[in-house]
Amino acid sequence: MSGQHSDRVVTEPFDDQLGTPFAPHSDETVATMLAAIGVDDIEDLFDIPSSVQFDGEFGIPSSSEQAVSRKLGDVLQTNDSAVSFLGRGHYQHAVPSLVDHLSLRSEFLTSYTQYQPEVSQGFLQALFEYQSLLVELTGLAVANCSMYDAATALGEAATLSQRARSIDGSRVLVPSYVRSEYRSILDNYVSGTDLTVDIIQTTEGMVDPDALSAQMDDDVAMVYVENPTVEGVIEEHLSTVGSLTDEHGALFCLGSDTVALSLLERPADVGADVVVGDASVLGLPASHGMGLGLFACREEFLRQVPGRLVGASTDEAGARTYTLTLQTREQHIRRERATSNICTNQAWIALRSAIHAGMLGPQGLLSLAEQCHRRAESLATEIDEFDGISAPARDCHHFREFVATVDSDAGDVATALQERGYIVHALDEDRLQICVTDANDHAVNGFLDAVSEVVV
Amino acid sequence: MESHEWTEQRDGTVRVGISDFAQDELGDIVFVELPSEGESFERGGSFGVVESIKAVSDLYAPVSGTVVDTNEALREQPELINDEPFDGGWLVEFDPDEGLEHLLTVDEYRQQV
Repeated sequence: MSGQHSDRVVTEPFDDQLGTPFAPHSDETVATMLAAIGVDDIEDLFDIPSSVQFDGEFGIPSSSEQAVSRKLGDVLQTNDSAVSFLGRGHYQHAVPSLVDHLSLRSEFLTSYTQYQPEVSQGFLQALFEYQSLLVELTGLAVANCSMYDAATALGEAATLSQRARSIDGSRVLVPSYVRSEYRSILDNYVSGTDLTVDIIQTTEGMVDPDALSAQMDDDVAMVYVENPTVEGVIEEHLSTVGSLTDEHGALFCLGSDTVALSLLERPADVGADVVVGDASVLGLPASHGMGLGLFACREEFLRQVPGRLVGASTDEAGARTYTLTLQTREQHIRRERATSNICTNQAWIALRSAIHAGMLGPQGLLSLAEQCHRRAESLATEIDEFDGISAPARDCHHFREFVATVDSDAGDVATALQERGYIVHALDEDRLQICVTDANDHAVNGFLDAVSEVVV
Repeated sequence: MESHEWTEQRDGTVRVGISDFAQDELGDIVFVELPSEGESFERGGSFGVVESIKAVSDLYAPVSGTVVDTNEALREQPELINDEPFDGGWLVEFDPDEGLEHLLTVDEYRQQV
């Protein structure tokens, strides 16, 4: 596009003919208003200390709307169109266009707040469906209608363990593979409480049952384990974790996501008390930042759940209705004793997630999850054929992603792949992490060619 | 300490509930969270929570002691606190570590509310 523009003459006066857009603060109106209230200068209306005032120039040239639009378009064209094989907590799945068509309807997109039962039955029903989906996938009785992201949901699970009367102890155990971002947010949540966070050693990318058993005592309040782990490993010791936490009266918090849960062991069946994770794997592109915090738990902890809950009820005419419920947990009623500082949620993302799940249906979800399992394992097998790289690095089952070890420097390999249009994680000098889903599967053949070229 | 629990001395234990005034102020009670038997509390410590349709309030131990019994009927019928605050709506029984001399008499309480 930019190349085509360069030999065309675009006259700025044409843009200028659009004139100044209507803005209420022309010099004249500002002067009139100031005169009416007897003030000389706008600055007199504010009391901002000079120490925090910006005294420079912003250096942003003034342009017409069309010129700005062209400029931004040109800048965006400079993005490369590399295909992502990145994962580690952010996963891309094809989002059907119907999700946009429905969720962008103004009744959903611009309704603030979505919680007035008398005007927003549709939105409340969608959130109730989202919760029901999580209840079905986790086997746990209660799910809230979302938190900010997986990491904040993990933090909330830790503070729940401290509030619950049935749970004693002050130590939270997390596996060594836990992402630093999650750890940092968890540390934030537990600061100011009596909780401390300790690491569980892992073997072959999984929680080591013997190490965990040795670490367990009655002072452990919560144990967090992921399935699949951030390295794509399907954990094999979940039932052991469930027994150990049960034995020591600790909360078992399992991290997962809505696609993985469709295929992997149901959390309730392995003794999980709380499930957290990212539900935006459905309904949202991998934005590498934004998420949708999944939070579900056993009924015993209903009164300790953070965030909002949508309940089903009946109105005076006997019709099924939906309403926010159990709000006495929340800070607008319970003040400093509230279960959480979160009084909001990601309602619109939860809506998109529910629409996507609804479109797939139980069979579609299962089929997507099976593909995530099969594609990762077959890609690892194919990569392993090449000299100079071996995959998967761990002898276990994988979901979406796996670690590969390379003979040459992993950072150099990742850079060389990027030059060929493919992006992977370099974990350290020896290891790459590669993620494959329905969203990048079309590029696997080209990716394999590129890998074969760069690892020798 | 101003709170609205009543006590009743029984055979070596102290039964605790909330007053008729308190249940009336709270409105319809929908949930009660009670401690487990064997838990100990200092005088004035929060031993549970009572939740009505409009508020959530802590329950404060009128005496230091150990919980020896809880009113299990409240789990299914929290409204007993509204219906029979001094009778079927009792909350817990403590094995007290101290006497009851520091508590208000019924007349003193009535003058306060």
